[in-house]
Amino acid sequence: MKSSARCYLPLMIAVMGLMITTGSTAQTIKGGMRTPPPLAPLGPPPIPADNPQSPAKIEWGRYLFFDPRLGGDASTGCSTCHEPDQGWSWAEDISRGYPGTVHWRSNQTIINAAYYSKLFWAGSSTSLEAQARAASKGGVAGNGETDIMEARLALIPRYVALSREAFGTEWPLLRDAYRAIAAFERTLVQRDTPLDRYLLGDETALSEEQIRGKQLFEGKAGCIQCHNGPLASDENYYNIGVPGVKRWESDGLAQITFRFELYAKGVPEELYRTLKDDPGAYFRSRNRWDMGKFRTPSLRYTLYTAPYMHSGQFDTLEEVVDFYNAGGVAADGRTTSFPETKSPLIRPLGLTGQEREDLVAFIEAFSGEEILIEKPELPPYAPLFTRAQLQAAQEAK
Amino acid sequence: MPNLTVGREQMGPQAMCRRTLLAVVMGAGLTFGAQAALVPELGPLPPIQYDKAKAELGKRLFFDKRLSGDAGIACATCHDPKQGWTQNQPLSDGYPGNGHFRNAPTLINVAYKKVWNHDGRIGTSLDDMVREMITEDYIMNMDMRIMQERLKQDPLYLEMFRDAGYGEPSNGGVRQAIPEFLKSLTSRNAPFDTGKMSTAARKGLQLFKGKAGCIQCHNGPLASDGKAHNTGVPENFGIFLNPENHQAFIAFALFQGIENYMNLKRDPGYYNVTLDQADMGKFITPSLRELKYTAPYMHNGMLATLEEVVAFYNAGGGKESRKSPLLKPLGLSEDEQRNLVAFLLALSGDPLTTAEHIWQQPFPAEYSAIENWKDVRN
Repeated sequence: MKSSARCYLPLMIAVMGLMITTGSTAQTIKGGMRTPPPLAPLGPPPIPADNPQSPAKIEWGRYLFFDPRLGGDASTGCSTCHEPDQGWSWAEDISRGYPGTVHWRSNQTIINAAYYSKLFWAGSSTSLEAQARAASKGGVAGNGETDIMEARLALIPRYVALSREAFGTEWPLLRDAYRAIAAFERTLVQRDTPLDRYLLGDETALSEEQIRGKQLFEGKAGCIQCHNGPLASDENYYNIGVPGVKRWESDGLAQITFRFELYAKGVPEELYRTLKDDPGAYFRSRNRWDMGKFRTPSLRYTLYTAPYMHSGQFDTLEEVVDFYNAGGVAADGRTTSFPETKSPLIRPLGLTGQEREDLVAFIEAFSGEEILIEKPELPPYAPLFTRAQLQAAQEAK
Repeated sequence: MPNLTVGREQMGPQAMCRRTLLAVVMGAGLTFGAQAALVPELGPLPPIQYDKAKAELGKRLFFDKRLSGDAGIACATCHDPKQGWTQNQPLSDGYPGNGHFRNAPTLINVAYKKVWNHDGRIGTSLDDMVREMITEDYIMNMDMRIMQERLKQDPLYLEMFRDAGYGEPSNGGVRQAIPEFLKSLTSRNAPFDTGKMSTAARKGLQLFKGKAGCIQCHNGPLASDGKAHNTGVPENFGIFLNPENHQAFIAFALFQGIENYMNLKRDPGYYNVTLDQADMGKFITPSLRELKYTAPYMHNGMLATLEEVVAFYNAGGGKESRKSPLLKPLGLSEDEQRNLVAFLLALSGDPLTTAEHIWQQPFPAEYSAIENWKDVRN
């Protein structure tokens, strides 16, 4: 195996060189640094042509988002782990997961998820609709199967009516339920943050500290190399040096999930036996140079979504800034398990204490007011048939 | 042409000819009460060999709730040794969050069967049956990949799988070990087998083979022909009136590809296997062994007692246009019905409720962490 990998190496390098060259047409390279798209106010979210918004769809999606019946044992729905009071996320390092399991990554906020073209940390879903499906069915997430979830929808009269209004089907289809959830999620956007107001011309929207932080963000600290554009994410994959999850070393339940993910996502047996950290984008490409890479997350709404990084490795924004300042090394000296793929963009920054504070203050400007909504009262099941109908069917047998 | 006992899926033209012949012969048999010669004799079950270490592993797995998706139920939840390896309620519990739409069959003697499930949809092996029960969403809803990793986290399983010759814990090992354990669940000391039947039971046996005609379907050592028949058992309306049960039924019918499943107001039974309307409402003949412990009866638990079951057949079965022509009013006296029940009870042996069949040790409340996790192979 090893010798053949060596044979491929020159080819890999050639291909990667080609990729970088191609990339440079879109993003000019000046003195080794790309000139990234600037930060910009967030516009309205893109609405896919095959799933236009409608009031009935959004209303159904709002119910469904909070409905645990859209999961294996009717205990775990979207909001179970994407809890509005916890930043539409989960305030622990790794997500709670389905009963009897624990997840293995930090779950991401729903706020502004509508803008991503790649959902999940390794970009495994390319639409909110597909993300909802994957999350409801994943073994350590919703663990629901199509049959039972679709059957449940048909037994909730309110959902039958809403799906009929929104999609015109006689009975609710699970596929449409995912479309309704996505439509609801496209209403969960935040476009009036201090940063948005500042970028739209309100110079008082940022404090002096934050303006200094913005300059660092765009300059010395180099954050903008990846956290750019309206979403503050280039949606590319990088290994920035985040260490593995400490919990995997001491938590039996977490060790189970770690191996399950390797098994379920499919890696060669030798990797199943030896990996001790999340290989991230490798799962998507099966290319070794993607080991430990994750899609750049948006910085929006991060005031409410601690802890941070793909498995919640850092509790505070200060820790995150310190990590970058150290060149991608945590306070305890730990760093990525895949040093060979670490991004050259990540280097010690030499930020002073004041500069680090300014940067944190600026990152806070990516968040506006906390978005909280009243959870809907979920409509109940009702029998489809009356006793008289069943009696008549019995007589007719 | 009347329904008979031969599954339609087996029927080539030759079989059709045989079926015609069979119909004639059976008609004659019914008339003259000589049909016993056409069916396998009732009799003791042949001994069954199994591997002790594999069965011991299977026993632990059988009682382990960690084999279900949310770790809420074990095989033993719906096949409870204290309830005759079934649940003494009309409909099985099913997975948390939903109900079920059928009565859980006892697992005593399950290893002798050739087809499993009331509708007979699995006819390959107990290995496949175990997989079906563990993974089906309304039953145990287990992603077997998670199950494998759970087992690998339990030091005792590491030892037991190795001792059983399965290597490290695997899904394939589970699918082999549980059937091995199930082979140990066999009838013991049933009066019918030991020859110590009461006079009433002996009279019942004669009725069983003669006037009552039970043996037409309940024959061979299991007292089951393993084939599908429509006896007209009334539907259990609870399936359709309770959304928890109905959702399991809909999920089942949807997954199995039964058309018009949203409007279905009956259990299609064997129709699920053949998709032939003639098989609508047929169910596989259950074994009559161990009935003493396994009330209520029928595929949907609609009959609470053996007396009710005998009365049901004495009346010629239920009301159903596709009902088997084998069922006709029997004209049994009350005394005869009592004798028949006495015989049925004589087919039940000792309860299998000791440590030989029940895993006694507690399961760990938490998974222990693997030490030196970073240094050892997964």
